[in-house]
Amino acid sequence: MATQKRYGMLYDSNKCIGCQACSTACRAENKVPDKVSRLQVWIEGPKGKYPDLITDFHRKSCVMCDSAPCVPVCPTGASYTTSDGVTLVNEKFCVGCKYCIAACPYQARFLNPETGAADKCTFCHETRVSRGQKPACVSICPTGALIFGDMNDSKSDISLALKSQRAVKPKEHLGLKPKVVTVPNWRGGDA
Amino acid sequence: MITRRSFLKLSGAVAASLSVASMFPDIATWAAGGKVEGKADFVRSFCEMCTSRCPIQAKVVDGKAVLVSGNPDWGATGGTLCARGVSGQSQLYDPQRIQKPLIRVGERGEGKWKEVSYEEAYDYIAKQMQGIKEKYGPEAMAFGCRKGPHMSYLYTFAKAYGSPNTHNHESTCPLARTVGLEVTFGTAGLGLDYGNCKYIVSLGRNYFEGINVAQVRGVMNCINKGGKLVSIDPRYSLTSAKAHEWLPIKPGTDLALVLALNHVFIRDGLYDKDFITKYTEGFEAVKASVTSYTPAWAEKETGIKAADIERIAKEMAAVKPKAILDWGWRTTFTPEEFELRRAIIIGNMLLGNLEVPGGSFFSKGPGFINGLVGKPVVQGIAGFKTPPFPKPAKPRVDGAGVKGHPMELAPAGDGIAQAVPESILTEKPYPIKGYFAYRYNPVVTMPQTNRVIEAMKKLDLLVVCDIYMSDTAMFADVVLPESTYLERDEGFNDYSGGVPAFTLRQQVVKPVYNTRAHWQIFKELSEKMGLGAYFPYTNIDDIRLTQMGGKQDLVKMGKEKGFVNFGMKPLFLRDKNSVAEFVKQFPDAQSLVNEQGYIDKYLTNLKTPSKKIELMSQVAQNVFGRGVPVYRPIQIAESGQQLFIQGKTGLHTNGHTHNVPWLHELMPENRLWMHPETASKLGVKTDDLVEMASTVGKQQVKAYITEGVRPDTVFCYMGFGRVSPGLKRAYKKGVNSNLMIPTSTVPVCGITLQTAGVTLKKV
Ligand code: SF4
Ligand code: SF4
Ligand code: SF4
Ligand code: SF4
Repeated sequence: MATQKRYGMLYDSNKCIGCQACSTACRAENKVPDKVSRLQVWIEGPKGKYPDLITDFHRKSCVMCDSAPCVPVCPTGASYTTSDGVTLVNEKFCVGCKYCIAACPYQARFLNPETGAADKCTFCHETRVSRGQKPACVSICPTGALIFGDMNDSKSDISLALKSQRAVKPKEHLGLKPKVVTVPNWRGGDA
Repeated sequence: MITRRSFLKLSGAVAASLSVASMFPDIATWAAGGKVEGKADFVRSFCEMCTSRCPIQAKVVDGKAVLVSGNPDWGATGGTLCARGVSGQSQLYDPQRIQKPLIRVGERGEGKWKEVSYEEAYDYIAKQMQGIKEKYGPEAMAFGCRKGPHMSYLYTFAKAYGSPNTHNHESTCPLARTVGLEVTFGTAGLGLDYGNCKYIVSLGRNYFEGINVAQVRGVMNCINKGGKLVSIDPRYSLTSAKAHEWLPIKPGTDLALVLALNHVFIRDGLYDKDFITKYTEGFEAVKASVTSYTPAWAEKETGIKAADIERIAKEMAAVKPKAILDWGWRTTFTPEEFELRRAIIIGNMLLGNLEVPGGSFFSKGPGFINGLVGKPVVQGIAGFKTPPFPKPAKPRVDGAGVKGHPMELAPAGDGIAQAVPESILTEKPYPIKGYFAYRYNPVVTMPQTNRVIEAMKKLDLLVVCDIYMSDTAMFADVVLPESTYLERDEGFNDYSGGVPAFTLRQQVVKPVYNTRAHWQIFKELSEKMGLGAYFPYTNIDDIRLTQMGGKQDLVKMGKEKGFVNFGMKPLFLRDKNSVAEFVKQFPDAQSLVNEQGYIDKYLTNLKTPSKKIELMSQVAQNVFGRGVPVYRPIQIAESGQQLFIQGKTGLHTNGHTHNVPWLHELMPENRLWMHPETASKLGVKTDDLVEMASTVGKQQVKAYITEGVRPDTVFCYMGFGRVSPGLKRAYKKGVNSNLMIPTSTVPVCGITLQTAGVTLKKV
């Protein structure tokens, strides 16, 4: 029985060591020009008073809002959401007006200097996920900090992980229902 | 857009520069040639961005490498990789690489070159090396490289020429551990099984920044399964950030802590008595030596509370033998380094963690397995038949492995790197006049940069083979460009650990520039010098087939899978289950199994004088006067000085990757970490310039104010502050840690120190 897929990702900041393998793999896989990024991992810290310190890790990328504010503002229809819940940009239709960039509260979008079109994380939809592979960042992560999959499948890794983990949605108060969620640092941090 | 600026602001610990992006072309788009579609091929190989050599898989579309990832069939890494590995592609297509052989035309170090053919370069080198041999003897040439599968080509070349002076970089990295293990076990081939461990104490070993992907996964597995990680480090590293406890120890006092742990293990009878009785020698001497090393005493030395030391010892003992005191890596803080490594090894043996899952184990290569079974059941890497080497007329300048020399215990196969610049400058015990540095950059990886430069300048001949115009290459007479690892085929590399395995490096794309592989360079150069008989292979297939004993199927397996293995599960000699598995596969081994289900005869038949594990070493007693480790307090810094320490970042490797485009972009420079107390005394804020001076060097550094370092200590990531203008991106960015460190050689093991006392003042 083929039900509609709904892709999501979990980022466990406890397992993340900030190694940047994911952001580098994203660059390679998606030919992201050198001075812009679809993904970065921010290392925040050490914070606290010596010797009681913590360091937090944050994944910064498109969080694939269910109610994506970047889509309705697009005058050309270049920004759209696929049936499996992935927000994408069709660069052929994009006129570079940057409305979507302004609308995104996660600062996930940028103008690609090579194509002139809006760009951001695509969940590697075209090159990998639609071919049954995991996104580049997920498959490269040495510590298994990233879990990706179909949230409509109750037996998928992502569904199981979401059940067992204390995950939070970034900027939840905005009500945009992101599908990239974070397990906050168990040592404290900004849950 | 996620700006780089905001990234840098938040990631003070990692990235540091606010400089505008440099002018290099866009590697990602260039590599892709603008194309997205095309037929993809996957080539299995192994990485060379650091010495861990992780198995990789590279995706190639239309002849261009587009994504380097981990080899999905390699269990220990499961298809994952670190950022350095993924960035190999940006190094491959980097226009700042050395593109053709070069011969110096200007003054040494002036940067004036003429492009030549390989023939001309070889002719030049052959003539000069011949001249040195005639004038001073072949031992006046020294040869250095990193450790790795390429090493045998350089060493063969050196020995064929007639010089005993070969070395790798180990004495600036883990040599103390090597010598400590050898003295105790008769071999340095041991590993630690992090993944199954329940308690890991790291003494400055920084898993999550000195990244070895398999080890990163092992330690993370340990944590995920409820194991505990304790990080003992004067600096709050990313390993400390992930650890359950961070104990900011006073630099140079780790030995006191370990001796106190050993004290508690013995005092409270927490050690594994059976293990100690059965397999070890010298327990009584150890026991007598640690009586005064109480936790209360250690608290005064280390700054770590006695109660914490007591507690950690008890926690470790409670889960023994699945507890590890990591015997570490490049953290040489004092001349007592050999004592420290041995005390750590002894601690592990008190916990009885040898040859059990979650503990320590002997590396099990083909030789080990065949020796155990008593006949050749696993193919080993075979070599070529070559004529005997000429016998060197003089002993090595560094004394490594030379009977009766104070450095007798240092392995001759590694040598003592820092002895070479000393021999060049002091001409003692005899002068070194020529140096061949293969993929080796002593100017930034050896202590005392300025002295190494002085030495390089004094040479009659400096040949450098590298992929970038490194800080050493800039002083060379001849520079030979090697192909990067993504452009060259190679022979098999012994990658045995828990089980025998070989990895294979394969060409992913054709060389982008006029570069060649080392096996070709050394063969061609040797032929020029009439030494071709020492490199009797014809091509890479010949090398591989000979290595695999003529077995085509193994070569084929290597090419397809990227590695050769023998279907073995990790064998722990004191683990019933894994021994049973082993005997199932090799029934000839049945006779070795004792009534407990162990194969522990090996542990009482070691290559040590007593054949047992030597907790007390007569050999060390003889050369050193200290058969068991004892403590002598060491003062690193004078009063008014700060303790300067250095360490690794997960984004760079030693003196190797700082100019690699994507890695440079992620971390273009380093800063000097200092505690707010230190900073307020100096009146400096983050990014202010500070002058840092030691007895051997002075430089201006940018401050990074953080609680993540002890108030008496300053820290920086190593490998920055590059002196070669040929490294256009990395040139003069950040702090050169080795500029501060005086040259020194630690007794017995020959390692260099990696700390210094420094004075700071605001600029
Ligand atoms: S690859 Fe994994 S561990 Fe490394 S920064 Fe990305 S999420 Fe974190
Ligand atoms: S994170 Fe930003 S770019 Fe991504 S779907 Fe939400 S609003 Fe759009
Ligand atoms: S920049 Fe492109 S994708 Fe974004 S709103 Fe404008 S047209 Fe749409
Ligand atoms: S899912 Fe793909 S596009 Fe998105 S951050 Fe990961 S690698 Fe980049």
